[in-house]
Amino acid sequence: MFKLDRKSILIGTSAFAASVVLLSGCGDSTSTGVASNTSKSCEIGVYKIIDKHAIDGGVIYARQNGVYTDYRYNQQSMKGLNYGRPATANEIKAWNVDALPDGTGLPKGQGSVEEGDELFEAQCASCHGDFGGGGKGYPQLTGGNQDKDENGIVKVLKNQRLLPGMAAPKRTVGTYWPKATTLFTYIRDAMPYAHPKSLTDDQVYAITAYILSQNEIKIDGVEMDDEYVLNAKKLTQVVLPNNNGFYPDIDGAKGPANVKAFFADRAKNIGMGTRCMHDCKDISKDGHGKMVAPSVFKIKYEMSDVVPPYAYARDLPPEVDTGLVSKGEKMYNTSCKLCHGTDTMGAPMVGDKEAWASVMQKGLHEVVHNAIAGTGGMPPKGGNADLSDADIKTIVEFMANSSK
Amino acid sequence: MDKTLKTKESTSVSRRDFFKKTASISAVAAAGLLAPATLNADDPAIMHHTKWGTTLGDGCNYHPYGIPSKYEHNIVRRTSALMSSAGDMHAAISMTPLYAQKGIITPNGLHFTRTHNGVAHVDPNEWRLMIHGLVEKPIVLTLEQLKRYPSESVIHFVECPSNGAAEWKGPQFNSVQFVRGMMSCAQWTGVRLKTILDDLGLKPEAKWMLAEGGDGSEMSRTLPIEKVLDDVIIAYGQNGEALRDEQGYPVRLLAPGWEANLSVKWLKRLEFGDKPWYAKEETSKYTALTASGRAIQHFYALETNSIITSPCPEIPWTYLKKGEMIEIQGLAWSGYGTVRGVDISFDGGKNWVEASLKGLILPKCWTRFSYMYKYEGKPLLLQSRSYDDSGDVQPTVNQEKTVVGVEGVYHRNAIHTWEVTAKGEVNNVQVRS
Ligand code: HEC
Ligand code: HEC
Repeated sequence: MFKLDRKSILIGTSAFAASVVLLSGCGDSTSTGVASNTSKSCEIGVYKIIDKHAIDGGVIYARQNGVYTDYRYNQQSMKGLNYGRPATANEIKAWNVDALPDGTGLPKGQGSVEEGDELFEAQCASCHGDFGGGGKGYPQLTGGNQDKDENGIVKVLKNQRLLPGMAAPKRTVGTYWPKATTLFTYIRDAMPYAHPKSLTDDQVYAITAYILSQNEIKIDGVEMDDEYVLNAKKLTQVVLPNNNGFYPDIDGAKGPANVKAFFADRAKNIGMGTRCMHDCKDISKDGHGKMVAPSVFKIKYEMSDVVPPYAYARDLPPEVDTGLVSKGEKMYNTSCKLCHGTDTMGAPMVGDKEAWASVMQKGLHEVVHNAIAGTGGMPPKGGNADLSDADIKTIVEFMANSSK
Repeated sequence: MDKTLKTKESTSVSRRDFFKKTASISAVAAAGLLAPATLNADDPAIMHHTKWGTTLGDGCNYHPYGIPSKYEHNIVRRTSALMSSAGDMHAAISMTPLYAQKGIITPNGLHFTRTHNGVAHVDPNEWRLMIHGLVEKPIVLTLEQLKRYPSESVIHFVECPSNGAAEWKGPQFNSVQFVRGMMSCAQWTGVRLKTILDDLGLKPEAKWMLAEGGDGSEMSRTLPIEKVLDDVIIAYGQNGEALRDEQGYPVRLLAPGWEANLSVKWLKRLEFGDKPWYAKEETSKYTALTASGRAIQHFYALETNSIITSPCPEIPWTYLKKGEMIEIQGLAWSGYGTVRGVDISFDGGKNWVEASLKGLILPKCWTRFSYMYKYEGKPLLLQSRSYDDSGDVQPTVNQEKTVVGVEGVYHRNAIHTWEVTAKGEVNNVQVRS
């Protein structure tokens, strides 16, 4: 850091050494007067800092006299612009549906674990696994050992894979998530994945209840059995096992100040390097806990499964097939492929002859009807209500024809 | 990338294939640089009229919206199923080809892309931004109204805090695109949020802002007011044109230097409050689990970082001859402030020399570094280490893992090592205990 040090010494000895003014940029012609008149302070990339302990641990640069670091800006007043129109109460109500951990904003409604179980199996398990237990390549929502150590820390979160074969930390709703209200708002806004915002508030309470019960969460000491009915009040009472597992403390009036204090000590809290230039030693604990000098670790299993494959030639691209993509295929790609493009989701995979032969035994009419009305894990019209019945027929024909 | 990467048994075939491919680029480079001299014969590229010199070219409006030369078709974003939240491409990330990056501005078509519910296609006529909560005057803006505010154009990198996350436990990908490609840098144009708030009147109780996206995942995050009033902008321009859909068309938040996830795309709503929201992407994800078993939350700025982009596995030194001079260059950046310098080591971090910075040096922006090196055909362990004006210095792998462990997923900025073999091949390795 020697360049910086030199600079702060320079400023530090000047008469204008206000504690916040560390560095002075070239454009700074009037405010301090001192440093800027010396040519040395005009070092490229050195800008005037007004706060070196910003909330993120970084610096805040001066905006003065039309100069912001290397940028210039218009100094005229920007007041009184007033371009938007007032938001109506109904508009705010329609969009302001977020909820805080204290329950503010949670909607009315309720749902039981049992109802949630059915909904989950029908709409979520295809991706998140039976009981939310994962195993399908999508996030695991339940499971993991919630036992805590003597300091109240969930033990499985201390797992570190420093050596091959070591267990990974388990991050599920039960072991990792801090707040249950997040589960409610996230499911309501973002799931099910292919057609988010399609669940009613009652349904979301039910599914949330089911996921919490599968994580063996007790609410106010009460176990969540099948008949348990969750509502806003009870959801607010949930204390998830890892509620205290996060730092710095962002809650309460001192939240922002805590964050600032945490990032002010980055060397201790998140790690930082040192500018050693010669004969640097970098001794540290190895995977067995012994202090050793570093050595060179090579790639053991190269990840080369990349899309598109690695290629570097500056040649002409391969001729593209100009055969037009059919309307059916286009609609299939946007609304159905997510589930029907693989054989992992319980949907008959396009291209799987046997699966489609057996589907089509029912006759086209019946199959189209099922695709329109929904069946089993198949949502009505694949979740895309904008498709007409005729569109669905076109797509089903494409799917069947591509699977012969 | 929100889950631990699975390792895949790689076959020796894929590795050999890879080197065949890298050999072919060096062959291209060699053809350009060495052919006439080494062959000692007249270069047909000079001795014959070319096809393009003997035919009429295309009309000027052949592509009303221009596209890259078709010979550049391999310069594309790449991804891997292993890097998504799931085995599909909708909650996933694609990486910028850093080996082909020129200067500090990433072309819009190559800007890395991370989505949580696919790339949304927002109709700008129906787009609205609501600003409400602890403000005197809650408002709704259309795109036209937003664009009436005085604009700012600033150059900032945008980086996913998972950049490099595949490497906590060891090197995995032999490619700079995959090692560090979850970032890009662009000139963003928009309105400084403070300019709008000065109009609306922020109430003194307001401590936090919720930024919510309008995509299928309603991606949302909580930001502290201090940042909001400093340099956050509401951006609609990217390198001189509208944002690309992948970057949040028509409007995204831009929180310079911070986890890209906080620069919420397809922006829909800003709410001011006195408590943080605890959205999914600031609890279940984007929190960094440390070895203590507790996790860092509200982890904002990306630490100072650097990567050598030439040489790299995609651009090896296999064509160099002993004694030839070659430029080592790369990118350095810091979300805390401005890069002040970069050091280079040839021996895996024991000894260091100072590189030069070149080009523009801007806060929270990619900064180019350069070092002229005399190639000796000896094996090297090549590293770069950046430092910035906030006092941050890039840590070694050991320094970083001693404090935070290896399971944090996010905010990995440890010094990177390329092994250069005696033949000039470049491989991803790690120097660690
Ligand atoms: C088509 C597959 C699919 C279906 C069906 C699906 N999800 Fe998801 N789910 C995902 C993906 C992908 C993610 C990760 C998204 C991301 O990266 O932001 C996810 C994330 C989640 C998460 C957050 C997980 C975490 O650890 O952060 C929850 C909770 C969730 N889904 C609940 C549900 C519920 C409840 C349903 C049924 C109503 C459902 N999902 C249906 C694919 C699916
Ligand atoms: C969220 C995942 C999902 C999406 C999206 C989806 N499907 Fe399905 N689909 C399924 C599943 C699961 C089944 C198997 C249902 C069963 O038999 O229980 C299925 C079954 C079907 C069947 C067979 C019905 C029968 O009679 O056996 C047809 C036809 C079909 N889907 C058409 C479509 C079309 C057309 C679309 C797009 C408009 C679509 N699907 C989108 C999951 C999906």
